[in-house]
Amino acid sequence: MKHHSRLMKFFVCFQTLFILASFLFVNMASARLSAKANHDHITVDSFYHGSTVSVRGVSDPNTDIIIKITSDEGHQVLRERGKVGGLFWMNVGELKIDHVPNTYFLHSTKNVEDILSRDQINKYVIGYPALKRHVEMNASDEGEKTGWFNEYVKFKESSKLYGTTTGQISLTEDKGAQSYYILTQWPYQAPPGHYTVTVYAVKDKKVVETATSNVDVEQVGMVKSFANMAKNSATEYGFISVFAALSAGFGVAMVFGKSGGAH
Amino acid sequence: MYLYLPVALTSINILIPIGLGLAVGLLSGLFGVGGGFLMTPLLIMFGIPSTVAAATDSNQIVAASVSGTYAHWKVGNVDFKMGLYLLMGGFIGGLAGVELIKVLRAMGDAGFVIKITYVLMLGSVGTYMFIESIQSMKKKKTEEVKEEKDSKVAKFLRSLPFQTRFEKSGVTHSVLVPVVLGGFVGVLAAIMGVGGGFLMVPVMFYILKMPMHVIVGTSLFQILFTCIEVTFLQSYTNHTVDFILAVLLLVGSTVGAQIGAIFGRKMKGDQLKIILASIVLVVTAKIVFDLTLTPSLLLSQAGGH
Repeated sequence: MKHHSRLMKFFVCFQTLFILASFLFVNMASARLSAKANHDHITVDSFYHGSTVSVRGVSDPNTDIIIKITSDEGHQVLRERGKVGGLFWMNVGELKIDHVPNTYFLHSTKNVEDILSRDQINKYVIGYPALKRHVEMNASDEGEKTGWFNEYVKFKESSKLYGTTTGQISLTEDKGAQSYYILTQWPYQAPPGHYTVTVYAVKDKKVVETATSNVDVEQVGMVKSFANMAKNSATEYGFISVFAALSAGFGVAMVFGKSGGAH
Repeated sequence: MYLYLPVALTSINILIPIGLGLAVGLLSGLFGVGGGFLMTPLLIMFGIPSTVAAATDSNQIVAASVSGTYAHWKVGNVDFKMGLYLLMGGFIGGLAGVELIKVLRAMGDAGFVIKITYVLMLGSVGTYMFIESIQSMKKKKTEEVKEEKDSKVAKFLRSLPFQTRFEKSGVTHSVLVPVVLGGFVGVLAAIMGVGGGFLMVPVMFYILKMPMHVIVGTSLFQILFTCIEVTFLQSYTNHTVDFILAVLLLVGSTVGAQIGAIFGRKMKGDQLKIILASIVLVVTAKIVFDLTLTPSLLLSQAGGH
């Protein structure tokens, strides 16, 4: 009985030590990957014409890096164009997409399909094919969904709100650690809001670590005042818009009238 | 220099809206049209969302039309009486047009009907105006035949009740004529989502028999009120008027409207008609191309017209 009790104590101690060691190991591993966006607060003033965002950090050596920058997921409605009567291109319906980010940028050291398994790609929604599987759409079958999703990506890329690059992330090794860095153009088309930067360290076709950072885009000054007024004081905004147009029209007409334009 | 537009949520080189405003204001002052048919697609081309482009364009037309109306009024080229009757009809027609759109949408492919109506209307008006202007300029001897045709229409118009004299235009019509015609253009303008200047100018010339120079001033007077209403409604209901963009556009359009009015006074009525007819035909051709050529993008932002 005494022997049995000692054996139990030994097992409990061993188990505790094992759990502590496991925690320590995990913490050490996740501490290796870090992510920092330099311009994490972009202010939109009257002269704003986009910005740059750099993401840098440290990862385990011999890992590939994938950086995903997205806005929060939401619902989007777009107009679909199609051929009517075999001749005319018209608006034929609405495309409704759920769980889709308005902005989606993906940067990777290598081709995503070469460094990650399909399961992992889908799990972390990395790349357009995974995003297509992730979103919900008012399409009747898979073929229609693929077609309209490709058109959606084309539309978003033309608006500079979606984009992917491969091989743009620079990697340098120093004292057993790997540093990564990328400088990206932040488009002025990206609306004010909260953006999440997620960095994935990838090894042996698996995501071994993730780290996140944020980019916040905020309107300031006159831009903020006008945007708020247009939304929250629509009556005053409407009167001011009409009054300004009437004043400008009369003002210029008076100037031309005096200078002999209208006689 | 770039400016960020708080409602359009985009950045634009200020020379673009000022230049566009100048060009469209020039057309406005010359021909008495608002120019929405040109400005809205051009703004969309430069990255402005369609809803914001349409609403903000109305705001700048207010400035261009008040500037143009003032310039034409100073030289006695605005028939306020005729303008008010047309406006009355236009207002009723606009309301009827909105209801008609609802019916068309409920029936199915409203967009198709609207576009085809637009192409047919603009195409036929532009072609007729173009041919008639060339004939008139060449002074062909077709006047007798034309007079005979005109007299039948004139006879019918004279037979209508509530005849009144429009001194500025030098014509006598039943008040029903401008109200009904204004209503007809109002219906079409509401369905097509444009101001209607392009249709109103030929109506005033060919049916109301008004002199071309008075038509321009009177059309601008009418457009002014229509666009004040649209600007306010767009601000109030859709929050889509971009004040900064409107200011940049109206800087150009108010000056353009004045230059247009000056040029217009130096041109003959037939010259004005033939240029306007050419622009109408170019716009018609553009719409036909848009309808038949495969677009580069099959998706667009919802909203706008």
